[in-house]
Amino acid sequence: MPLLDHRILVVTGKGGVGKSTVCAALGLLAARQGKRVVVTETSGAQVLPGLFGVGSRGYEPVRLAPGLDTLSITPLEAIEDYVVQQIKVRRLYEMVFRNRVMGPFIDGVPGLHDAVQLGKVWDCAVQAVDAAGRPRWDLVIVDAPATGHGLTMLEAPRSMMELTRAGPMYRGNEKVETLLADPRKTRLVLVCLPEEMPVAETLDLHRRLGPRGQQLSLCVLNEVHPQPPATATEWAQARPVLAAADGPGLAEAVDLVDGWHERVARQDLARDRLRRGIGLPVVDLPFLFHRNLGPADLARLADALQPTVSAP
Amino acid sequence: MSKHTRVVICSGSGGVGKTTVSAALALRWAMEGRRVAVLTIDPARRLADSLSIGDIGNTAVRVPLERLGGHGAGHLDAMMLDAKATFDDLVRRFAPSDAAASRILENRYYQFTSTRLGGSHEYMAMERLYELWHHGGYDVVVLDTPPTRHALDFLRAPDRMATLMDEGVLRWLVMPATRSGWRALELGSEAVAKVLGKVLGKGTIAEIAEFFEVFRELWDGFRSRSVEVQALLRQPHTSFLLVSSPSPAARADALYFLERLGEQRLPFGGFVVNRTVPAPPPPPERAHLPATGPLPPDRWAAVLASVEQAPRLRARLARDHDQAIDALRAAGPPGAPCWRIPEQRADLHDLAGLAAITRHLPALSEIHEL
Repeated sequence: MPLLDHRILVVTGKGGVGKSTVCAALGLLAARQGKRVVVTETSGAQVLPGLFGVGSRGYEPVRLAPGLDTLSITPLEAIEDYVVQQIKVRRLYEMVFRNRVMGPFIDGVPGLHDAVQLGKVWDCAVQAVDAAGRPRWDLVIVDAPATGHGLTMLEAPRSMMELTRAGPMYRGNEKVETLLADPRKTRLVLVCLPEEMPVAETLDLHRRLGPRGQQLSLCVLNEVHPQPPATATEWAQARPVLAAADGPGLAEAVDLVDGWHERVARQDLARDRLRRGIGLPVVDLPFLFHRNLGPADLARLADALQPTVSAP
Repeated sequence: MSKHTRVVICSGSGGVGKTTVSAALALRWAMEGRRVAVLTIDPARRLADSLSIGDIGNTAVRVPLERLGGHGAGHLDAMMLDAKATFDDLVRRFAPSDAAASRILENRYYQFTSTRLGGSHEYMAMERLYELWHHGGYDVVVLDTPPTRHALDFLRAPDRMATLMDEGVLRWLVMPATRSGWRALELGSEAVAKVLGKVLGKGTIAEIAEFFEVFRELWDGFRSRSVEVQALLRQPHTSFLLVSSPSPAARADALYFLERLGEQRLPFGGFVVNRTVPAPPPPPERAHLPATGPLPPDRWAAVLASVEQAPRLRARLARDHDQAIDALRAAGPPGAPCWRIPEQRADLHDLAGLAAITRHLPALSEIHEL
């Protein structure tokens, strides 16, 4: 089944590798195929509205592009949402939870934050409906926290089940866990940079995924630098001639071309290690030489993802 | 002695190289002749890699500075936080008896809290920091922290624990039948019990209550420690450095964090911007390049195109980075120092690589509160 035909994609990776960018590009691609997509952020940073130059509305969905929405799931709002769903009376929630005493207590329940955030993801995938009563979104893309915390988050529903062992919290988390652990519904995407240490950490994360590793479908290598116009062999032949020549800026330029070749060689090595270690398709996203990405950049990245992601 | 121990805490979002910067600062100050400890709480094992000391754990490992030809009076100890072991130690220390310690260590809720609770890592990092500061015999302790938005938990952890451990608060949970606590909020205890029961399940509430009941004997120890840790974070010898990269997301996180520092009245010491690119000279002009070379004309043209493109691409990146740094400085307090670490040509994985970036970092004497 093509990746974008699943219900949920959980995107994780080491911090700073561009998970949000990849989520946005995947979301654009799915929306182009006519799907209604929501990208959920869990960090509270609300990066996606910024990428598309629209205002953010936090916990309320906001439209980024035709067919593409985003939503920032903060733990406190997710807890409120969950509790109010359970007890049906908002005023009771406000009385019991909105005070200086319950705050720290709720914060202290292990895994609760992560579990309710995933509960909201479940809600988006299963319960949310549009005016016609159809599911509101075909695909939910989860911009998950970085490596270590990302794994903890995925384990949260099971942790909550072990902690509660019965009751409403148990049943709620059981539903979430059933959906998230189902490879026909939920798939994982890893994002990595083409450098040695991020690759080592991605391989480490891959090992720690355990049985969830079966749900891993794709690894995205982000910020891949372009190849220089001349090959490494040609450069090796040309370099002595240029190094012997004289001219303003030439020595520095030769040095930069050396660095460019070294970089792409390291990149190729990193990609090979990743591909061999994970045994899955690795798709390159080009480095765009600037960091303030906008909708046009994201469209370019979606183009780059298209051939691999749309394959059956 | 511990009164003169400096504490430097490096925070910033994931992937900016906080661990590397922490290790490099520690290395720099050890090479200055100080006795330095560096503690990382990042779950990934990056510090050990860059310090080339293999697997490190809760115990200090002496970094082999002699490999760098160092022979000064300084030394560098590196360690990684083992949150569970630290928490267990703390329980044993504060428990009035072995039996009380065992009851806690075996409580299911405790086992969940000490191993899986996000905030417990941060709290235990504070505890280890305190121990190092208090007992370690170090001139400076450098602390690496988890990715930004979580580092907020890390700052709040001792406060939060103190509130949670406050007897008045816990009495609510332990003895919901006593009406005094609830009355303050004009709520019937039945209503609260009903709501909590619906949300978490009645069995869970009972277990959590039991945990707090057994934990009660340790409260005093934990609370006074918590107060001391808060004081340590605000002592004049403590500084927070915010580590960023040129990416807008990292910058946003650094500024978010700066705001939190201000709110908590925690001392900010400056920015470190990692992996920046300095502007290259303009590309050489065609006229100055050899028109032909040892390759067919079309391939020689490709070589010349490489020579022209490399500085242009580099310049684009440098412009982007300069703008990022300007924006960061403009948003920070006036006069805030900003140390730039140029992007390294190769991946960093050994001590020599780490030493190469220390010259871009401040001497210990340059770190002070703004």
